[in-house]
Amino acid sequence: MSPSVLQRIASGDSAAVRECIEQYGALVWSLARRLSRSPSDAEDATQEIFLDIWRSAARFDATQGSDKVFIAMIARRRLIDRLRKTSAEPPMDPVEALEAVAWADPGTSSETSLEAEQATRALAELRPEQRQVLELGLIHGLTQSEIATRLSMPLGTVKSFMRRGLIRVREFMNIDAERILSEG
Amino acid sequence: MAEPGPQGQLDDAMMDLLVKQVTEGLSPAEQRALDVLDSAVASANLRQLERAAAAVALAGCANAPPLPADLARRIEHQALEHYAGAGLPGAGLPGAGHARPATIKPARWAPKSGNYGWLAAAACLLLAVFAWNRSPHPAAPVAAGTPAPAVIAPLAKPPTAAEEREAMLAKSDSLKLTLGATKDPAAAGVSGDVVWDPVTQRGFLHFVGLAPNDPALRQYQLWIFDGGRDQRYPVDGGVFDIPANATEVVIPIHAALPVLSAKAFAVTVEKPGGVVVSGREHVVVLGAAS
Repeated sequence: MSPSVLQRIASGDSAAVRECIEQYGALVWSLARRLSRSPSDAEDATQEIFLDIWRSAARFDATQGSDKVFIAMIARRRLIDRLRKTSAEPPMDPVEALEAVAWADPGTSSETSLEAEQATRALAELRPEQRQVLELGLIHGLTQSEIATRLSMPLGTVKSFMRRGLIRVREFMNIDAERILSEG
Repeated sequence: MAEPGPQGQLDDAMMDLLVKQVTEGLSPAEQRALDVLDSAVASANLRQLERAAAAVALAGCANAPPLPADLARRIEHQALEHYAGAGLPGAGLPGAGHARPATIKPARWAPKSGNYGWLAAAACLLLAVFAWNRSPHPAAPVAAGTPAPAVIAPLAKPPTAAEEREAMLAKSDSLKLTLGATKDPAAAGVSGDVVWDPVTQRGFLHFVGLAPNDPALRQYQLWIFDGGRDQRYPVDGGVFDIPANATEVVIPIHAALPVLSAKAFAVTVEKPGGVVVSGREHVVVLGAAS
């Protein structure tokens, strides 16, 4: 099995840097646009995220997930951190005009990732209002309080929907927590 | 009911903290509360939830727009600098400074309630009351034909804004509109057009003869009317200036929000930094899709 682009970066393959930008630039840019307050914020965040990726490439373990999810995790950490450091304004997308989310099509894992396909299948099993809570929180970056306000839903219900939804996705991803613990 | 953890149980409150950390981050007080947990159990749960959240985010990114070329070049340059400093791959490769191509700086999105709807006909734009927010940083226009700053020495010279505009004009799926001048004094003798690529969400304004402005007194502000959005909220295009010696300028557009279906563009004259609510007396140019 050939090494992933992250493993090649970690091993000192400078050509992999450009490949990484080409392969994952759209993913990072898409996440940054959704979880930033302006396009200029999104550009700054994207640069910070890729710097995090260069620094973290050596920690990527292909046995614990795909490189796409690894990069999405790095991106989300950075974006959430940036949101918390700025004002209480929500990110760019107003809920009234949320763009339709283009979900990964189950069965196209070669184009997306196995984890994305699993997440899509898990979301499809959720009730519409529960799926909406996850979409607003994880795709569009609204806080749980903002979701509660927007959907006129009790905060406790939002928390419960988010928690159970994430756990359902986790179950679909069949993460072996014992293994993570033992290796952690 | 508590959710089962990988080793033992975490109660709902602790699980809620982990979920909050994954979805929006924790306050210092919440972080301290989480720190009292068994770190191994909390850490394993946190990693699981992070992966699940990342997978959902990834699933929602199908058909993601491409990374803008100029940003990709900046990132590559940044990587070269990073690895040169770390003595890792790319070390020794020459690099240039971190110059950024000029763009319109968008205003933040925080609309107030508007009283009028989005009007499809261009003439009706003059009657609209827009709900806008302030844009703190004006962007310098790029004079037509002026080379954009090179951002990475080893790479090919990046196209100028004028060249990128020309390329976009040649694309069959880009939106091209002529901007018509109004009777506003700033619009006397001006001609202009806009090209917008709905796929990359980029575009360019092009003006000949738009009156120079003193940024300390007034600025131009761009608005994009999106047929896919609430008609009361045009997408803010940010503020920009026309230098005293400029006759023909090309200004890159970076919309503050995704534009689903651009229907019209309007430029107004506003006080420095832009306005929250615009009066209709200073619409300079406008153009609407047929």
